[in-house]
Amino acid sequence: MATPTYDLLASTTLATATASVTFSSIDQSYGDLIIIVNALGSTTLEARIRLNSDSGSNYNSVRMSGNGSTATSASLASQTSGSLSVIADATTGEAILLKVEIQDYTATDKHTSILARANQSATGAEATALRWASTAAVTAIEILTSTGNWAIGGTFNLYGVAK
Amino acid sequence: MSFMLLGILNSQAAGGGAGAYDLLETTTLTSSASSVTFSGLGSYSDYAHLQIRGIARGDRSSNTRGALSFNINGDTGGNYAWHYLRGDGSSVTSNRGVSASRMQYLWEIPAVNATANQFSSATIDFLDFSNTNKNTTMRLLQGIAGADNQVGIASGLWNNTSAVTSIDIIDLFGNLVSGSRFSLYGIKGA
Repeated sequence: MATPTYDLLASTTLATATASVTFSSIDQSYGDLIIIVNALGSTTLEARIRLNSDSGSNYNSVRMSGNGSTATSASLASQTSGSLSVIADATTGEAILLKVEIQDYTATDKHTSILARANQSATGAEATALRWASTAAVTAIEILTSTGNWAIGGTFNLYGVAK
Repeated sequence: MSFMLLGILNSQAAGGGAGAYDLLETTTLTSSASSVTFSGLGSYSDYAHLQIRGIARGDRSSNTRGALSFNINGDTGGNYAWHYLRGDGSSVTSNRGVSASRMQYLWEIPAVNATANQFSSATIDFLDFSNTNKNTTMRLLQGIAGADNQVGIASGLWNNTSAVTSIDIIDLFGNLVSGSRFSLYGIKGA
Protein backbone atom coordinates (compact mmCIF):
# COMPACT_ATOMS: atom_id res chain seq x y z
CA MET A 1 0.00 0.00 0.00
CA ALA A 2 1.23 3.46 -0.85
CA THR A 3 2.56 5.49 2.03
CA PRO A 4 2.21 9.26 1.78
CA THR A 5 5.52 10.86 2.57
CA TYR A 6 7.78 13.89 1.92
CA ASP A 7 6.72 15.51 5.15
CA LEU A 8 7.76 18.96 6.27
CA LEU A 9 9.63 18.45 9.53
CA ALA A 10 10.89 21.93 10.25
CA SER A 11 11.00 25.32 8.60
CA THR A 12 12.56 28.66 9.31
CA THR A 13 12.66 32.04 7.61
CA LEU A 14 15.40 34.29 8.88
CA ALA A 15 14.23 37.43 10.63
CA THR A 16 17.81 38.43 11.36
CA ALA A 17 21.03 37.69 9.56
CA THR A 18 22.67 34.57 10.93
CA ALA A 19 25.76 32.48 10.26
CA SER A 20 24.05 29.15 10.69
CA VAL A 21 20.73 27.40 10.94
CA THR A 22 20.45 24.21 12.95
CA PHE A 23 17.82 21.50 12.85
CA SER A 24 18.14 19.40 15.97
CA SER A 25 16.33 16.48 17.62
CA ILE A 26 15.57 15.19 14.13
CA ASP A 27 12.83 12.58 13.90
CA GLN A 28 14.46 9.16 13.38
CA SER A 29 11.47 7.47 11.75
CA TYR A 30 12.19 8.46 8.12
CA GLY A 31 14.56 7.01 5.55
CA ASP A 32 15.96 10.13 3.92
CA LEU A 33 16.11 13.83 4.68
CA ILE A 34 15.85 16.65 2.17
CA ILE A 35 16.78 20.24 2.92
CA ILE A 36 15.77 23.08 0.65
CA VAL A 37 17.61 26.37 1.10
CA ASN A 38 16.80 29.60 -0.68
CA ALA A 39 19.02 32.26 0.81
CA LEU A 40 21.30 35.14 -0.04
CA GLY A 41 24.58 35.66 1.73
CA SER A 42 25.64 38.95 3.29
CA THR A 43 28.87 38.45 1.38
CA THR A 44 30.18 35.93 -1.13
CA LEU A 45 30.34 32.72 0.80
CA GLU A 46 30.53 28.96 0.72
CA ALA A 47 27.55 27.00 2.01
CA ARG A 48 28.60 24.25 4.39
CA ILE A 49 27.03 21.50 6.45
CA ARG A 50 27.91 20.02 9.82
CA LEU A 51 26.25 16.94 11.30
CA ASN A 52 25.72 16.16 14.97
CA SER A 53 27.92 19.15 15.86
CA ASP A 54 30.96 17.14 14.73
CA SER A 55 33.77 19.58 13.96
CA GLY A 56 36.39 16.89 13.52
CA SER A 57 38.14 16.40 10.19
CA ASN A 58 35.51 13.94 8.99
CA TYR A 59 34.00 15.55 5.89
CA ASN A 60 34.94 14.81 2.29
CA SER A 61 33.35 16.32 -0.79
CA VAL A 62 33.62 16.44 -4.55
CA ARG A 63 31.84 18.93 -6.76
CA MET A 64 31.46 19.80 -10.39
CA SER A 65 30.53 23.27 -11.48
CA GLY A 66 29.63 25.12 -14.62
CA ASN A 67 29.73 28.90 -14.86
CA GLY A 68 28.62 29.47 -18.43
CA SER A 69 32.04 29.15 -19.99
CA THR A 70 33.93 26.37 -18.24
CA ALA A 71 33.17 23.19 -16.32
CA THR A 72 35.40 22.37 -13.38
CA SER A 73 35.65 19.81 -10.61
CA ALA A 74 37.30 20.03 -7.21
CA SER A 75 37.47 17.94 -4.08
CA LEU A 76 38.06 18.60 -0.40
CA ALA A 77 39.24 15.99 2.10
CA SER A 78 39.30 15.86 5.90
CA GLN A 79 37.33 19.04 6.35
CA THR A 80 35.77 20.16 9.65
CA SER A 81 32.48 20.77 7.84
CA GLY A 82 31.20 19.65 4.47
CA SER A 83 31.24 21.94 1.45
CA LEU A 84 27.78 22.13 -0.14
CA SER A 85 28.28 24.94 -2.62
CA VAL A 86 30.72 27.67 -3.60
CA ILE A 87 28.47 29.65 -5.90
CA ALA A 88 26.70 31.91 -3.38
CA ASP A 89 27.87 35.22 -4.81
CA ALA A 90 26.19 37.97 -2.79
CA THR A 91 27.10 40.64 -5.31
CA THR A 92 24.52 39.23 -7.70
CA GLY A 93 21.71 40.01 -5.28
CA GLU A 94 20.30 36.60 -6.13
CA ALA A 95 19.54 33.94 -3.56
CA ILE A 96 21.17 30.57 -3.99
CA LEU A 97 18.83 27.63 -4.49
CA LEU A 98 20.27 24.64 -2.71
CA LYS A 99 18.80 21.14 -2.41
CA VAL A 100 20.52 18.74 -0.02
CA GLU A 101 19.63 15.03 0.17
CA ILE A 102 20.79 12.77 2.98
CA GLN A 103 20.09 9.10 2.34
CA ASP A 104 19.73 6.54 5.15
CA TYR A 105 20.45 9.16 7.79
CA THR A 106 19.56 6.80 10.65
CA ALA A 107 21.78 3.97 9.39
CA THR A 108 24.64 2.92 11.64
CA ASP A 109 26.21 0.49 9.16
CA LYS A 110 27.46 3.08 6.71
CA HIS A 111 28.97 6.53 6.51
CA THR A 112 26.50 9.30 5.83
CA SER A 113 26.21 10.07 2.13
CA ILE A 114 24.94 13.45 0.96
CA LEU A 115 24.04 14.83 -2.47
CA ALA A 116 23.64 18.54 -3.11
CA ARG A 117 22.53 20.57 -6.11
CA ALA A 118 23.01 24.33 -6.16
CA ASN A 119 21.95 26.97 -8.63
CA GLN A 120 22.45 30.70 -8.87
CA SER A 121 21.59 31.78 -12.37
CA ALA A 122 24.04 34.67 -12.42
CA THR A 123 26.88 32.46 -11.23
CA GLY A 124 26.40 28.88 -12.29
CA ALA A 125 25.20 25.42 -11.40
CA GLU A 126 26.78 22.78 -9.21
CA ALA A 127 26.42 19.18 -8.12
CA THR A 128 28.23 17.95 -5.03
CA ALA A 129 28.64 14.61 -3.26
CA LEU A 130 29.71 14.53 0.37
CA ARG A 131 30.57 11.89 2.90
CA TRP A 132 30.57 12.24 6.66
CA ALA A 133 33.02 9.60 7.89
CA SER A 134 30.88 8.49 10.77
CA THR A 135 28.40 5.66 11.25
CA ALA A 136 26.38 7.60 13.80
CA ALA A 137 22.76 8.33 13.05
CA VAL A 138 22.20 11.95 12.08
CA THR A 139 20.33 13.76 14.82
CA ALA A 140 21.29 17.36 14.08
CA ILE A 141 22.10 19.31 10.92
CA GLU A 142 23.71 22.73 10.76
CA ILE A 143 23.73 24.71 7.52
CA LEU A 144 26.45 27.29 7.95
CA THR A 145 28.45 29.84 6.04
CA SER A 146 32.20 29.88 5.47
CA THR A 147 32.15 33.59 6.22
CA GLY A 148 29.52 36.22 6.88
CA ASN A 149 25.83 35.56 7.35
CA TRP A 150 22.77 34.25 5.62
CA ALA A 151 20.73 37.38 4.96
CA ILE A 152 17.30 38.23 6.29
CA GLY A 153 14.56 36.41 4.39
CA GLY A 154 16.54 33.25 3.80
CA THR A 155 14.41 30.11 4.01
CA PHE A 156 15.50 26.70 5.26
CA ASN A 157 13.10 23.76 5.08
CA LEU A 158 13.68 20.21 6.27
CA TYR A 159 11.64 17.29 4.90
CA GLY A 160 11.47 13.63 5.83
CA VAL A 161 11.00 10.90 3.23
CA ALA A 162 9.88 7.45 4.35
CA LYS A 163 11.66 4.32 3.19
CA MET B 1 24.99 34.46 15.51
CA SER B 2 23.51 31.04 15.32
CA PHE B 3 19.84 30.38 14.84
CA MET B 4 18.88 27.22 16.67
CA LEU B 5 15.64 25.58 15.72
CA LEU B 6 14.88 23.24 18.54
CA GLY B 7 12.82 20.18 17.91
CA ILE B 8 10.99 18.95 14.96
CA LEU B 9 7.66 20.49 14.34
CA ASN B 10 5.97 17.66 12.63
CA SER B 11 6.35 13.92 12.62
CA GLN B 12 3.49 12.65 10.57
CA ALA B 13 2.85 8.97 10.82
CA ALA B 14 3.30 6.86 7.72
CA GLY B 15 0.34 4.99 6.32
CA GLY B 16 -3.16 5.89 5.34
CA GLY B 17 -4.33 7.12 1.95
CA ALA B 18 -2.19 7.99 -1.00
CA GLY B 19 -0.79 11.50 -1.49
CA ALA B 20 1.08 13.31 -4.23
CA TYR B 21 4.42 11.70 -3.38
CA ASP B 22 4.09 8.19 -2.02
CA LEU B 23 6.44 5.44 -0.92
CA LEU B 24 5.51 2.37 -2.95
CA GLU B 25 8.15 -0.25 -2.16
CA THR B 26 11.53 -0.63 -0.49
CA THR B 27 14.17 -3.31 -0.91
CA THR B 28 16.98 -3.39 1.65
CA LEU B 29 19.48 -6.13 1.03
CA THR B 30 20.25 -8.41 3.95
CA SER B 31 22.62 -10.47 1.81
CA SER B 32 24.48 -9.76 -1.40
CA ALA B 33 22.57 -9.78 -4.68
CA SER B 34 23.52 -9.21 -8.29
CA SER B 35 20.44 -7.12 -8.99
CA VAL B 36 17.29 -5.61 -7.56
CA THR B 37 14.05 -5.55 -9.54
CA PHE B 38 10.93 -3.50 -9.09
CA SER B 39 8.19 -5.37 -10.94
CA GLY B 40 4.44 -5.14 -11.31
CA LEU B 41 4.73 -1.41 -11.92
CA GLY B 42 1.57 -1.45 -14.01
CA SER B 43 -0.34 -1.39 -10.76
CA TYR B 44 1.06 2.09 -10.13
CA SER B 45 -0.30 3.60 -13.34
CA ASP B 46 -2.29 6.16 -11.38
CA TYR B 47 1.04 7.88 -10.80
CA ALA B 48 2.69 10.03 -13.47
CA HIS B 49 6.31 9.51 -12.48
CA LEU B 50 8.46 7.12 -10.49
CA GLN B 51 11.42 8.00 -8.35
CA ILE B 52 14.02 5.63 -6.95
CA ARG B 53 16.09 6.80 -4.02
CA GLY B 54 18.96 4.51 -3.19
CA ILE B 55 22.23 3.96 -1.43
CA ALA B 56 24.52 1.18 -2.57
CA ARG B 57 27.90 -0.51 -2.46
CA GLY B 58 29.21 -3.44 -4.49
CA ASP B 59 31.78 -6.19 -4.11
CA ARG B 60 33.68 -5.81 -7.38
CA SER B 61 37.06 -7.37 -6.73
CA SER B 62 40.38 -5.52 -6.91
CA ASN B 63 38.70 -2.16 -7.46
CA THR B 64 37.60 0.87 -5.51
CA ARG B 65 34.60 1.39 -7.77
CA GLY B 66 31.89 -0.55 -9.55
CA ALA B 67 28.81 0.51 -11.46
CA LEU B 68 25.11 -0.13 -11.76
CA SER B 69 23.05 -0.38 -14.93
CA PHE B 70 19.34 -0.27 -15.65
CA ASN B 71 17.07 -2.36 -17.85
CA ILE B 72 13.38 -1.83 -18.40
CA ASN B 73 10.76 -4.57 -18.84
CA GLY B 74 13.55 -7.14 -19.10
CA ASP B 75 14.57 -5.74 -22.50
CA THR B 76 18.25 -6.45 -23.22
CA GLY B 77 18.10 -5.48 -26.88
CA GLY B 78 20.02 -2.52 -28.26
CA ASN B 79 17.23 -0.14 -27.36
CA TYR B 80 18.89 2.18 -24.88
CA ALA B 81 20.84 5.42 -25.02
CA TRP B 82 22.58 7.19 -22.17
CA HIS B 83 24.75 10.18 -21.32
CA TYR B 84 26.58 11.23 -18.22
CA LEU B 85 28.43 14.33 -17.00
CA ARG B 86 30.82 13.58 -14.19
CA GLY B 87 33.36 15.35 -11.97
CA ASP B 88 36.15 13.49 -10.19
CA GLY B 89 37.74 16.32 -8.24
CA SER B 90 40.12 17.39 -10.99
CA SER B 91 38.17 17.44 -14.24
CA VAL B 92 34.70 17.09 -15.71
CA THR B 93 34.11 14.42 -18.32
CA SER B 94 31.19 13.16 -20.36
CA ASN B 95 30.40 9.94 -22.11
CA ARG B 96 27.48 8.39 -23.95
CA GLY B 97 26.14 5.20 -25.39
CA VAL B 98 23.63 4.54 -28.17
CA SER B 99 21.90 1.39 -29.32
CA ALA B 100 23.04 -0.06 -26.03
CA SER B 101 21.70 -3.15 -24.28
CA ARG B 102 21.24 -1.22 -21.04
CA MET B 103 21.61 2.19 -19.45
CA GLN B 104 25.05 1.68 -17.98
CA TYR B 105 27.72 3.38 -15.88
CA LEU B 106 25.20 5.98 -14.77
CA TRP B 107 25.55 5.18 -11.07
CA GLU B 108 29.02 4.38 -9.80
CA ILE B 109 29.33 2.65 -6.43
CA PRO B 110 32.17 1.88 -4.02
CA ALA B 111 33.70 -1.58 -4.39
CA VAL B 112 35.86 -3.96 -2.36
CA ASN B 113 38.90 -1.68 -2.13
CA ALA B 114 36.95 1.46 -1.26
CA THR B 115 36.92 2.99 2.21
CA ALA B 116 35.02 0.81 4.69
CA ASN B 117 31.39 1.82 5.26
CA GLN B 118 31.41 4.08 2.21
CA PHE B 119 28.26 3.91 0.11
CA SER B 120 27.07 5.90 -2.89
CA SER B 121 23.66 7.50 -2.97
CA ALA B 122 21.49 8.41 -5.94
CA THR B 123 18.14 9.87 -6.85
CA ILE B 124 16.60 8.60 -10.11
CA ASP B 125 13.48 9.82 -11.88
CA PHE B 126 11.56 7.85 -14.49
CA LEU B 127 9.21 10.31 -16.16
CA ASP B 128 5.78 9.47 -17.58
CA PHE B 129 6.57 5.80 -17.11
CA SER B 130 3.15 4.52 -18.15
CA ASN B 131 2.63 6.88 -21.09
CA THR B 132 2.51 4.89 -24.34
CA ASN B 133 2.78 7.95 -26.60
CA LYS B 134 6.48 8.47 -26.04
CA ASN B 135 9.67 6.65 -25.26
CA THR B 136 10.75 6.39 -21.65
CA THR B 137 13.37 8.76 -20.26
CA MET B 138 15.11 8.89 -16.93
CA ARG B 139 17.55 11.17 -15.12
CA LEU B 140 19.90 10.56 -12.25
CA LEU B 141 22.07 12.36 -9.67
CA GLN B 142 24.72 10.30 -7.90
CA GLY B 143 27.94 10.65 -6.02
CA ILE B 144 30.74 9.25 -3.91
CA ALA B 145 33.12 11.38 -1.84
CA GLY B 146 36.35 10.19 -0.36
CA ALA B 147 39.42 8.47 -1.70
CA ASP B 148 37.56 7.75 -4.92
CA ASN B 149 35.74 10.97 -5.70
CA GLN B 150 32.94 11.28 -8.14
CA VAL B 151 29.73 13.24 -8.61
CA GLY B 152 27.56 12.95 -11.69
CA ILE B 153 24.35 13.67 -13.44
CA ALA B 154 23.05 11.36 -16.14
CA SER B 155 20.16 10.67 -18.45
CA GLY B 156 18.86 7.53 -20.07
CA LEU B 157 16.46 6.61 -22.83
CA TRP B 158 14.56 3.40 -23.44
CA ASN B 159 13.61 3.64 -27.09
CA ASN B 160 10.23 2.00 -26.64
CA THR B 161 6.74 3.39 -26.08
CA SER B 162 5.53 0.51 -23.95
CA ALA B 163 4.46 1.28 -20.42
CA VAL B 164 7.19 0.51 -17.91
CA THR B 165 6.23 -2.53 -15.86
CA SER B 166 9.60 -3.46 -14.37
CA ILE B 167 12.98 -1.87 -13.66
CA ASP B 168 16.12 -3.93 -13.10
CA ILE B 169 19.04 -2.39 -11.21
CA ILE B 170 22.04 -4.56 -12.00
CA ASP B 171 25.57 -4.60 -10.62
CA LEU B 172 27.76 -4.71 -13.72
CA PHE B 173 30.79 -6.20 -11.98
CA GLY B 174 29.62 -8.31 -9.06
CA ASN B 175 27.05 -8.09 -6.31
CA LEU B 176 25.43 -5.38 -4.33
CA VAL B 177 26.32 -5.81 -0.68
CA SER B 178 24.10 -6.14 2.36
CA GLY B 179 22.81 -2.77 3.52
CA SER B 180 22.24 -1.46 0.00
CA ARG B 181 18.78 0.02 -0.11
CA PHE B 182 16.43 1.05 -2.93
CA SER B 183 13.10 2.76 -2.35
CA LEU B 184 10.48 3.35 -5.05
CA TYR B 185 8.16 6.34 -4.93
CA GLY B 186 5.19 7.40 -7.02
CA ILE B 187 4.57 11.03 -7.97
CA LYS B 188 1.09 12.08 -9.00
CA GLY B 189 0.43 14.10 -12.14
CA ALA B 190 -2.50 16.14 -13.29
